[in-house]
Amino acid sequence: MKHLKRFGELVMALLRELGDENAYNRHLAAHGRTHSRAEWQRFSDERFRARYIRPKCC
Amino acid sequence: MKRIIAHLIWAAVAVLAAFCLAGIALNRGEPINSTWLVTAAVCTYLIGFRFYAKFIAARVMALNNKRATPAEVLRNGHDFEPTNKWILFGHHFAAIAGPGPLVGPVLAAQFGYLPGTLWIIVGAVIGGAVQDFVILFASMRRNGKSLGEMAREEIGKVGGFTAMLTVLLIMVILLAVIGLVVVNALKGSPWGTFTIAATMPIAVFMGLYLRFWRPGKVLECSVIGFLLVVLSIFGGQMVAESPALAPIFTLSGMALAVAVIIYGFFASALPVWLLLAPRDYLSTFVKLGVVLMLGVGILFVRPELQLPAFTRFTDGTGPIFAGKIFPFCFITIACGAISGFHSLISSGTTPKMIAKEWHAWPIGYGSMLLESFVAIMAMIAACALQPGVYFAVNSPAGIVGDTPQAAVETITSWGFPVTVQDMDELAADVGEATLFHRTGGAPSLALGMAHIFAQTGGGRTILAFWYHFAIMFEALFILTIIDAGTRVGRFMLQDFIGHFYKPWGRTSWMPGVIVTSAAIVLAWGYFLIQGVRDPLGGINSLWPLFGIANQLLAAVALCVATTILLKMHGLRYVWITAVPLVWLVTVTFSAAWQKIFSPIPRIGFLARAAELQNLLDSGKVAAEKIGETQTLIFNERLDAVVCGIFVILVTTILVDSIRVWTGILRGTREVKLTESPFVPSQLETEAI
Repeated sequence: MKHLKRFGELVMALLRELGDENAYNRHLAAHGRTHSRAEWQRFSDERFRARYIRPKCC
Repeated sequence: MKRIIAHLIWAAVAVLAAFCLAGIALNRGEPINSTWLVTAAVCTYLIGFRFYAKFIAARVMALNNKRATPAEVLRNGHDFEPTNKWILFGHHFAAIAGPGPLVGPVLAAQFGYLPGTLWIIVGAVIGGAVQDFVILFASMRRNGKSLGEMAREEIGKVGGFTAMLTVLLIMVILLAVIGLVVVNALKGSPWGTFTIAATMPIAVFMGLYLRFWRPGKVLECSVIGFLLVVLSIFGGQMVAESPALAPIFTLSGMALAVAVIIYGFFASALPVWLLLAPRDYLSTFVKLGVVLMLGVGILFVRPELQLPAFTRFTDGTGPIFAGKIFPFCFITIACGAISGFHSLISSGTTPKMIAKEWHAWPIGYGSMLLESFVAIMAMIAACALQPGVYFAVNSPAGIVGDTPQAAVETITSWGFPVTVQDMDELAADVGEATLFHRTGGAPSLALGMAHIFAQTGGGRTILAFWYHFAIMFEALFILTIIDAGTRVGRFMLQDFIGHFYKPWGRTSWMPGVIVTSAAIVLAWGYFLIQGVRDPLGGINSLWPLFGIANQLLAAVALCVATTILLKMHGLRYVWITAVPLVWLVTVTFSAAWQKIFSPIPRIGFLARAAELQNLLDSGKVAAEKIGETQTLIFNERLDAVVCGIFVILVTTILVDSIRVWTGILRGTREVKLTESPFVPSQLETEAI
């Protein structure tokens, strides 16, 4: 049961990482800011700018 | 005692791998169960991972967990962030998994299941995974530098510039060929076309939802997006059955190609949060989910492979693409065994997120093994189809004949019996008007996947849903690659022109955005339309061109990797990357030579152009077809030129690398490793 719970947590953490939610939380913590629409827009703009200059894999 | 038990277990895995590989290699004349392929692949991967990759990690790279990684040294909460090993494994796998390992094996199945399967397994263990692992290691030791930067530093400026140009050209061909795969999958299919069209407003809705209504709730938004996409599949069924709506969504290949080109332009020029990013989130989750479902489905159903080990088309006369096993099987499989594009990911985000150096072992090497396993699953899905059905779906009209009757007669004469009635019943089962001439690999893969999913529950009644679910899955992430690729191509072009006229270098300067987006879209759009017009189906010309380009990029990455190993250890361990490099150069240069100069018109671009020119000169072409034939001649010559450019670019990097290697071995060149300095790690593994 403990292993199953750990596995579930790992899967959720992976999904949050893929969905940038973890990165957003890190961004808030690193800059000492709180969540808001403007903050998410600032974060996602910066992240997408860095991400979509690289080709996606075939 | 524990050690002895471990040795015995690994010996048993090795024996099982050898037994299953021998089983699939020696089986003839009767269907073989897919369990043999799965077991052979998994056991070989385990041996490769535990022994070969660990040897490279320990002896060659000397990975050291006491050395701080770039994620620790440069930690900034954004790009550089120490990440849990398994989360990063999933992240890296999601980034490297594309349509290549799904489509390539399906096309290569025309030779039978054996050649492709063996190359997918062996090529990944000694080539593809090694390339990904060494490049990831090299980038990790250089503060996360890109392949181009490493090429410039380790080989020279010529290598760096050529690598960038090679990537741009490869992307043009890649976007055209995967665009063709989507066009062929949706051609004449109102159900599929409606479903894919619906994903665009759904993505825009997701973009607005994330931007304004529920900022930051990506998982919540993706679940809603996924439910809407599933609803759109049911909506597609209603559209296909509606006499009023079906004609609107029943589009020709040319109309679909134009739609994809227009979509590519807007997706490249629109704000990224509106369409591209939400679609990317959705396609990533769907991709991982479907790959997992397919794995579970294959283990549950354990389908028998209906295609033989070898077909008659090993002689080079295959209807899907022309050419013999060597070299064409290898360039067709492409990403399932080794992919040059992975080197861009391995020197992109991943090295900046590795917490401990030893994590590179499962992430770099292990992820590629998983990608190879995806290719094995695609091979199983294709080979589980009746051979006659497989060839009827994948063969172009120009080879088997325009009418269903002509097609089944030709295919049956090859020894793969199929009837018009079989095909009509299958088409009705999956809700399509016809399944003849659906080239490109996506429809046959969707058929194979639908059969596997349907056998886990629901049977024939649910086959149509699963077929269109599979088509949606393939088209969704192919279109994401098209819009992201167009955008990246635009940035590269703007960057290049910006060297001559500064404003063009600014990615927000609207005239620059519009002109460069249009230039990139027109470049790949031209090849896409060429593929749609090609009477031989387009895939015959474009997929080998893409395969050659992709494998040449892998050769570039292996040149960089070989240079680094040579600088680290002299000649001692160079064979690790030099052997796959020599093999790739041999395969790609042979394929390129044949594609340009082969006297057989279905293989050689120039021979095909000459054949068409002769037809024109002798007056055998109808007056209304003269213009079209002249375009075909130009296209064949253009393909020959593009193929030649690829070879020249890679030869340039190869010659430059050999010059550097010779200098190092003769002692006339300073051996200068550009690794970042050793910094002791303070990071506790448990804290990640």
